Amino acid sequence: MEFFDLLQKLFTDYTLRTVALGSAVLGLTSGALGTFAVLRRQSLLGDAMSHAALPGIVLAFMLTGSKAPLVLVLGASVAGWAGTLLIMNIISGSRIKSDSAMALILSVFFGFGLMLLTWIQRQPNAAKAGLDKFLFGQAAALLVRDVYIMSALGLIALLFVALLWNQFKLLSFDPEFGKSLGLPMRALDIILTGLLVIAIVIGLQTVGVVLMSAMIVAPAAGARQWTDRLGMMIVLAGIFGALSGIVGAVISSNTSHLPTGPTIVLSISAIVIISLFLAPNRGLVWAWLRQKKSRRRIRMDSVLRDLYLLASQHDDIYHPHEAAAVDLMSKSRGGAAHCLNNLREQGLVRQEGAGGWSMTDAGIKQAREIVSRYGGNAS
Amino acid sequence: MTDPRAKGDTTPAIEVEDLTVAYRDKPVLWDIDLIVPPGILMAIVGPNGAGKTTLIKASLGLIQPAAGKVLIYGKPYPEQRKMVAYVPQRGSVDWDFPTTVLDVVMMGRYGLIGWIKRPGKKDRNFAMEALDKVGMTSYAERQINQLSGGQQQRAFLARALVQQADVYFMDEPFQGVDATTERTIISLLRDLRSEGKTVLVVHHDLQTVPEYFDWVTLLNVRRIAGGPVQEVFTEENLRAAYGGRIGFLHPKATDKTID
Repeated sequence: MEFFDLLQKLFTDYTLRTVALGSAVLGLTSGALGTFAVLRRQSLLGDAMSHAALPGIVLAFMLTGSKAPLVLVLGASVAGWAGTLLIMNIISGSRIKSDSAMALILSVFFGFGLMLLTWIQRQPNAAKAGLDKFLFGQAAALLVRDVYIMSALGLIALLFVALLWNQFKLLSFDPEFGKSLGLPMRALDIILTGLLVIAIVIGLQTVGVVLMSAMIVAPAAGARQWTDRLGMMIVLAGIFGALSGIVGAVISSNTSHLPTGPTIVLSISAIVIISLFLAPNRGLVWAWLRQKKSRRRIRMDSVLRDLYLLASQHDDIYHPHEAAAVDLMSKSRGGAAHCLNNLREQGLVRQEGAGGWSMTDAGIKQAREIVSRYGGNAS
Repeated sequence: MTDPRAKGDTTPAIEVEDLTVAYRDKPVLWDIDLIVPPGILMAIVGPNGAGKTTLIKASLGLIQPAAGKVLIYGKPYPEQRKMVAYVPQRGSVDWDFPTTVLDVVMMGRYGLIGWIKRPGKKDRNFAMEALDKVGMTSYAERQINQLSGGQQQRAFLARALVQQADVYFMDEPFQGVDATTERTIISLLRDLRSEGKTVLVVHHDLQTVPEYFDWVTLLNVRRIAGGPVQEVFTEENLRAAYGGRIGFLHPKATDKTID
């Protein structure tokens, strides 16, 4: 299908529009809130929270017999929040470290949720159908009213971030200093963590408890590559999240049997990979090129110096030497011929027929500088 | 509120009473009493694990003490918070955090700005002034991961300066900094003293104590000694604090060799 057909479908197809909009809202919110989680080294907390939400969803259904999204979201929030509080208390109140505490709560809550889910599937109650969709998400089932609820919750979360901007920034950078200023850092921690819970439960219906943590971590990880400012990082993470939501929804709607949640997660993964390699400054490709360039620079300097050291053993400083002789000067690195060709292009050496290479006056001047800077021992 | 410093020398700037801190069952600080008069530079020295950082953190309420209280200019610390500035160890934060030097310095104003409000022009001016004092104006817009260790330390000092405090708690500001930064900090400390401020510095380098500081407290879980440097910075007290492992030091007022 052509790109423009897809674009048109995005605006005309009611189901696709709903799904894409919902996914965009989820990506925007989780990207923005996830930025704080990533900067506070709490990436795993998002994973623990989303897994811990599962028993809450099932229990909320068992207690009310309703599958209304608000009921299930509330159940998910309470369970996710309870799991998080337990994690925080285990870390502060025992010798168990944070990674172990998160793994512990994640598996206990998720295991309990799976058990409830299996048990409820065996009950003769037609209404229970669909609860298992929360495992991997089912975006196709999104209704307009779900999108409204998601948008409202997302808006509340983002509003809090805007209002408490200074405090959240300080909490993420230097919470102890914040405490010394008299700011209630513990309360702010609880609020920000609560907002993260909101961002997670928004995505559970679409992406599912298993993959939701990707939507928390990946947009922020990608955004960090492109910017050195917190505000811009949050905006970018929101955009990356929303974009991957829309792209994932569109791709999966045009391919049969392609689930939306995993497609969204793969879309954001693609953005992260591109960011990781290609972003200016932090991108791995540029770092690799920079390193290669500086290595060549150093090697050329050392070849020039070696040629200088060889030549200074003769009365005539312009006495030519073969590339092989220069190669012998350095024990490990070869390729002197290649470097000499590069040096010739810079006018530092010249080739004297079969006799080999000699330095130009400019080359001698530079070689002396190199020797005086780094010493005259053979490399 | 009248200026508490106007009362003269009768009210100590910092008064720590019976401060005891324990991690689980192990006491880290035991029954510390400390009286610091206004307008002095005081070093806190002691071996590793002596509780120097803990003393600062407990004084600022960052660690819950098992017992004891801290008075700033005669009143409990929580009431006097705005009079106190804190310079934590620079290794305590992630310097790859996406923010600028100016932004970090501005954080010192967050306690005064109030909720919801953003830093204004006045706060910005304070921050630039502080950066000027530590010789970092040209770094204001730099990303903080571009700073050297010494520059990180100066940024932290600038952040404390914008708090416009009367009492400063500094945790190892001289740790691993270059000579330029060391000179900057020293002249900064002297400026603060001449403005009548009180500065308490956790310090590692015993050699420089007599040169840099007026008072010194020797700490090793308990308070070993404290007072004017000439009086208490003696071989006997140092031996008591460090347990004889001070062969590199040659304190004045003694001609005995140290084993």
